[in-house]
Amino acid sequence: MDAVKTKKISLIVLFLVIGFIIPQFVTKPYYLHVITMCLLWAYLASSWNLFCGFAGQLSLGHGVFTAVGAYVAVMLFNDYNISPWIGMFAGAGAAVLLSILIGYPTFKLRGAYYALATVAIGSGVVVLIENTQALGPFRVGGAEGLIVKLMGNAPAFFQFMSKQPYYYIALVMLIIVVLFAFWLKNSRLGYYLSALKEDPEAAEALGINVRNAKLVAAAYSAFFTAIGGVYYAMLIRYLEPNAIAGPMMSNEMVFLAVVGGSGTVLGPVVGGITLHAISEVIQFYFGDLAQGLHLFIYGLIVVFMIMFKPQGIIEILQKYYNRFLGITDRGEDEKSVKRTAGS
Amino acid sequence: MSNALLEVNELTINFGGLIAVNQLDMKVNTGEAVGLIGPNGAGKTSAFNLISGVYKPTHGQVFFDGENITGLTPYQVNRKGIGRTFQVVKPFGSMTVLENVMVGGFVHTSKRSKSREIAMQVIEQVDLKRKINSLAKNLTLSDRKRLEVAKALATQPKLLLLDEVLAGLNPTEIEEAVKMIKSINKSGISILMIEHVLQATMAICSHIVVLDYGKKIAEGTPQEVTSNPEVIKAYLGDDYEAVNN
Amino acid sequence: MDSLSVIVNGISMGAIYGLIALGLTLIFGIMKIINFAHGALLMLSMMCSYWTWKYTGINPYLLIIMIAPVMFVIGYSTERFFIKPVLDAQKDVREPIAVLLLTAAFAIVLENLSLMLFGADYVMAKTTVTDATIAFGGVTLSAARFYALIIALVISGGFYLFLQYTELGRKLRSCGQDRNTASLMGIDVPKTFAIAFGIGTALLAVAAITLLPFYYVHPTVGNVFMTKAFIVVVLGGLGSVPGALLGGIIIGLIESIGAQYMTATLTTVIVYAIFLLILFIKPSGLFGSRLEW
Repeated sequence: MDAVKTKKISLIVLFLVIGFIIPQFVTKPYYLHVITMCLLWAYLASSWNLFCGFAGQLSLGHGVFTAVGAYVAVMLFNDYNISPWIGMFAGAGAAVLLSILIGYPTFKLRGAYYALATVAIGSGVVVLIENTQALGPFRVGGAEGLIVKLMGNAPAFFQFMSKQPYYYIALVMLIIVVLFAFWLKNSRLGYYLSALKEDPEAAEALGINVRNAKLVAAAYSAFFTAIGGVYYAMLIRYLEPNAIAGPMMSNEMVFLAVVGGSGTVLGPVVGGITLHAISEVIQFYFGDLAQGLHLFIYGLIVVFMIMFKPQGIIEILQKYYNRFLGITDRGEDEKSVKRTAGS
Repeated sequence: MSNALLEVNELTINFGGLIAVNQLDMKVNTGEAVGLIGPNGAGKTSAFNLISGVYKPTHGQVFFDGENITGLTPYQVNRKGIGRTFQVVKPFGSMTVLENVMVGGFVHTSKRSKSREIAMQVIEQVDLKRKINSLAKNLTLSDRKRLEVAKALATQPKLLLLDEVLAGLNPTEIEEAVKMIKSINKSGISILMIEHVLQATMAICSHIVVLDYGKKIAEGTPQEVTSNPEVIKAYLGDDYEAVNN
Repeated sequence: MDSLSVIVNGISMGAIYGLIALGLTLIFGIMKIINFAHGALLMLSMMCSYWTWKYTGINPYLLIIMIAPVMFVIGYSTERFFIKPVLDAQKDVREPIAVLLLTAAFAIVLENLSLMLFGADYVMAKTTVTDATIAFGGVTLSAARFYALIIALVISGGFYLFLQYTELGRKLRSCGQDRNTASLMGIDVPKTFAIAFGIGTALLAVAAITLLPFYYVHPTVGNVFMTKAFIVVVLGGLGSVPGALLGGIIIGLIESIGAQYMTATLTTVIVYAIFLLILFIKPSGLFGSRLEW
């Protein structure tokens, strides 16, 4: 028992140490930027997973939340000089409201219909942003997009000259969302979501208010996703409607989470980091070979993962993790481990 | 309504011309075990769905503990103190037995430890301790039925609606299940059960209601019901003979 | 444009939407799968047709005979080798969303494959049809759109009759209604599914060819049409063949009439809003069966 615990803790510490010292070794801004993007995608996939993975709802429109978060924060910053550190919570709040507004009518839709509704909402929002030049006193910028006002090195306004702070912020955000996911999975709501994912009718019969449970989880998910959107805006410093709200944004979150292992705490993190890293590496080395090659391979990986490892990469890691901990029998320990790391 | 825990009055539901349940009146007293029997399509499960809030009645009321609960949603009905099982069992397949039951346990507490405590107690009660860490989808039918009961019990109901929990079990399993249901009843939980296995129903229930074509055609003690010529003639017929032999 | 031309134009474009949606609704109706690769497969059909036309110079409309069978084989194999394994693995899952994701990933593969092979250029098969117009009763319509309308009507009608009155059509429909019962009746369900997917894809080849003389082809052209096909299918009722055509025409009309009074993008928003409204109020669509799904 204690040996297992020690091993677990040392593993966590090891990963944290690696996470925090990476910028000491990776000094080239480009590489650090790529690693930062991996963390951001791991974060976004985890945020999507909070609701969609845990409750088994296929939302293909989460780009709406990144967009709302990003636009609200950037508009407040550009036009009213409100720091994005504060604006991000306004953006996240707006996303939460929107998630409830969308959730009320859509949560009664079944599987495929829900997915279609989210696609339509996502596409609709892109069109709306592209055709809005201004919203009251705020500049939205329409299809040309919105440039984030430059302040130079201004930590109080979420702007840094070096890449390092961005890396650390992304890392901390990722740690927070993972801790939150862990807490959620093991909370009452987490059990409710697991239950209603399998059988909403049976869940309802056990006293679960299915719609409320979904609304709360969706609100959490929207909150975190929106914060990710704000971060993206501050990192790239430019909002392009299709990039921040469009299908690429929405679908990427889903693919990363599914390839890693949706519905698990660490799956989306693993998926986000590995798949995004692979895609970047291919683009870097073979990008000149043929346009679209990296996305082609990326798509193939997703296809084959869904075909052959539908539980995600986490399923493979789980085996090694258990072996590392020295757990072989189906005992109480395996279970507690599983809930921590996997299914 | 003196000591009636559950009372339904003129309960009726109409599915586009088909009256599945027609003017049903019945009662379950506190501590009692009542059986609801009838041939296939008699409206038993529809009656359950009306009581548990899955369907809204076209006409009539459901009173529970002196309170009108007609038209509440399933989760609200559950929170009033009515637990139910499903005829086609609905385990949460990729969760373990313990987790399954804890879902029910969470209804009255947000604390994990408390829910776990409730779940452990219930699992012991239905004799599933040996399977506590198995995934629900790997259970045998008999264990799935136990799990179904355990989940409902974990919500700490005053009344338990059991929808054919004995169907599909072999005689030994039925015997064990009957024992389990009796002990649940003895622990103070009232029971309303739909069943096809008549002998078992009679062993458990002190009062039996007979439905046919959505209507109540007889009720009384097991003896009264089984000796009611109309009941025998109308639809028990050969089935009952077979059971008696 | 006078109002009659606006209406006729709307109907012709709408008929093409309907034609595209036909394959989607067929695949959904029979396999209960929403094919997110539908747009990419349309793009693939358009690319294949375009390059065949470019190198052979065969009249695009005649290409149907060549491209449709090729697309059938592609669709059939896709189902057999990619979708079926996932479908089988998800048999006892309540809402098999893995297949849906698989098709979405497949779309990315196809789009980028075509980007690699054909490049990102916008190309169009400019033939004699492209600039020709047809006038009747005071309405002037581009010839390509006119032919598209005729082809869409003929194919939809023929397809409807095929489903209703042929042995294969009945087999397909029976799998759509209840695959288990169909299987008990001796129907080879997996094979029927593959055929359904093949036919759905082959129908795209027809749509592709009607578009070819007047619509630019590029690797992401499918996205434009796929979102519309989704809307059309939900509007008409998932699984309904007449619904697909009527739904397509309704959308086509909204777009062409709307374009007279507002910006094209605003029309798009209105179309999305109608779509969501239908989804919330009557998810079975205007002409769909009330079968619960």
